[in-house]
Amino acid sequence: MSVNLSVNLSGIKMKNPVMPASGTFGAGREFSELIDINRLGALVAKTVTLKPRDGNIPPRLCEVSSGMLNSIGLQNEGIDHFLKHDFPFMREFDVPIIVNIAGNSLEEYAQLCRELDRVEGVSGIELNISCPNIKAGGIAFGASSKLAEQVTAAARYNTQLPLIVKLTPNVYNISKIARAVTSAGADVISLINTMVGMSIDTNTFKPNLGNITGGLSGPAIKPIAVRMVWEVAQSVKIPIIGIGGISNALDAVEFFLAGATAIAVGTANFINPTTMTDIISGLEAYLVEKGFTDISQIIGKVKT
Amino acid sequence: MLQIKADIIGKEEVMPGVFNLILVSPEISRNARPGQFVHVLCPTDDGFMLRRPFSIHRVVPGRAFEILFQVVGKGTEALSRVKIHDTLDIIGPLGTGFKYSEDIRSALLIAGGLGVAPLLFLAEELVERQVLFYPMLGYKTKTQMLRYIDFKRLGKKTYAATEDGSFGHEGTVADLLNRTVHNIRPEIIYACGPVGMLKKISETADEFGIECQVSLETKMACGIGVCLGCACVTRRGYKMACKDGPVFNTRDILWGAEDYEKGLANGCGCDNEALSETDSAG
Repeated sequence: MSVNLSVNLSGIKMKNPVMPASGTFGAGREFSELIDINRLGALVAKTVTLKPRDGNIPPRLCEVSSGMLNSIGLQNEGIDHFLKHDFPFMREFDVPIIVNIAGNSLEEYAQLCRELDRVEGVSGIELNISCPNIKAGGIAFGASSKLAEQVTAAARYNTQLPLIVKLTPNVYNISKIARAVTSAGADVISLINTMVGMSIDTNTFKPNLGNITGGLSGPAIKPIAVRMVWEVAQSVKIPIIGIGGISNALDAVEFFLAGATAIAVGTANFINPTTMTDIISGLEAYLVEKGFTDISQIIGKVKT
Repeated sequence: MLQIKADIIGKEEVMPGVFNLILVSPEISRNARPGQFVHVLCPTDDGFMLRRPFSIHRVVPGRAFEILFQVVGKGTEALSRVKIHDTLDIIGPLGTGFKYSEDIRSALLIAGGLGVAPLLFLAEELVERQVLFYPMLGYKTKTQMLRYIDFKRLGKKTYAATEDGSFGHEGTVADLLNRTVHNIRPEIIYACGPVGMLKKISETADEFGIECQVSLETKMACGIGVCLGCACVTRRGYKMACKDGPVFNTRDILWGAEDYEKGLANGCGCDNEALSETDSAG
C-alpha cells in the first residue's frame, strides 16, 4: 500500500512534508555529498540579510542537556552573494526553494522581499523575525504582535510569493502573534525558533558563549514547540510548519497531530545527516502501520 | 567526505585514560590528508549528543585509520567503552589539513601532550616525501610520553621536554623551541597543542621568519561547514575550524584578541570534547 505524503503550503507544493530548518543546512551544498537532496520536500536556505554579516564572537556553540545553545549571529554574505553563488546551486535540485530573510528594519525586510519577488525559482519567502542572537531586528520584531504585524504587512506589500513568518517561542502569548501575522497577510506560519538560554563555565565563571546568551535547540525544546504548534493551530487557519527538536519520524508525527502541515528538522541534521530522509521513510511506514493513506489524515488529529 | 559505519579492529589504552582506535575504511584511509579530522557519533545512551571531532592520527594505507583520544567528557567516555568489531558512525575526512610545498626540505613538528594526534600522520607523510624533520614533544612527565618512540623512529633528531624535568628539557616545548630554533633552522613549523603553547610558538616562528601552521581545537556542531559554529578569529575575518581549518597559518590567526581566546574551547565546561583534545604540557 502506498501513502501520500504530499502537502501544499499555501501554494508551495511539496512531495513530502519534510524540510530543513533555516540555518542548519546552509544552501545544501555540503549535505548534498551525504544525502539525496531531491528526496526532501523543500530546501530552506540559511537566513540572508541585505548586507553581509560577520556573525558573533566565538565561542558560538555549547552543548547542554538534550540540546545545544548557539549564537552564530546570522553570519552570511548578503543577498547579492546568495543569489549569485548559493541560489543557482539550490536550483539544480527538483525541490521548492524557500529563502529565509532577516532585516534590521521594516524597510530592509521590504527591500529583500522586493528583490526576491523578481527572482525566478523562489518558491516562498520565510521571514525570520525570531533570531535571538542579533542586536537589532530579529526577535525584536517577533516578540511584539504590533511589530510582527507591521513587518509582515511590509513584506506582504512587496511580494506575491507565498510568505512564511517564523515565530519566536520567547513570548507569553504565541497565539496573539500568530493572529497578528495572519491578519497582516502571512500565508504560512513556521514555529518555533530557538529559546533564549545561557550556560556558565563553573571553572572560569564565564558564560560558555561569546555572546553570553544564545538560542536553545534540540530535543530539550520539543515539548514547548509541540504545545505552541497546537495553540497556534487553534488560533489561525493558515498552514503551520512545525519546528523544534525533531529527530525522528515519531517526533514529526507529534507535530502533525498538533496541527502542523509540514515539519522542519534543525539540530538533528548535525548529528545525523540522514535524519530528514529517515523521517520521510519513517512517516510512510508509520502511516501504513496505522492504516492511513494520506498524511492529511493525521494533521491536527490530537484528541484533547 | 563520506558517512560510513566503520568496524573497529583495534583498541589500545596507550596510557591511563588515553585510547587509540583502529577503524576500517579504505576510502578515508585513501583520501585523508594529515591534519584532517573525522566527526564521530559517540555510542551513548543519551538521547542527544553532538558528534565529536578527532584528528586522523595515522592511516593504514588502503585499509584503515586511527584516532587517539583522551577521556575528557561524556562523548570520549562512551568512546572508550567500545569493543573490537563494534562499528562507529563516522563522517570524514573533513577540514583543511597541513600544507607543504613540493620543494620543502626541513620541518619541525611540535606537539604538546595529545597534540601528537594529527602530527604522527604528518610525520609518516613527511618520511614518505623524504623531508627531513625534527619532532619536538612536550609532556607533563616521563610516564606520559605519548608516541615519543614513534616520532623518534621517524624523525631525524627528536627533542623532548617535560614540565617536571623527568625526561629531556625541563619546562615547556615553547621554551625548548626558543633555545634550539637557531640551531635547527627549519623551513616550516607544524604544531598542535594547548592554545597558550601555540601562541608562544607562533611568536618564535615570527621572530625567526619561519612559516608556522597549527591545528586548532574548537567546539563543533555539524563539522562540515554548515552551522558556522566553530568560528576562529583571523586577519581575514571569521574562519571555520571545520572547513577552513582546523590547520591555520599562524600569520592569519589573531592571538591577541580577547575574542580569540574566548573562541577556543580550552577548559570550557560544556562537555563537547574538542579536536585532538590537547590536555597537557605546553
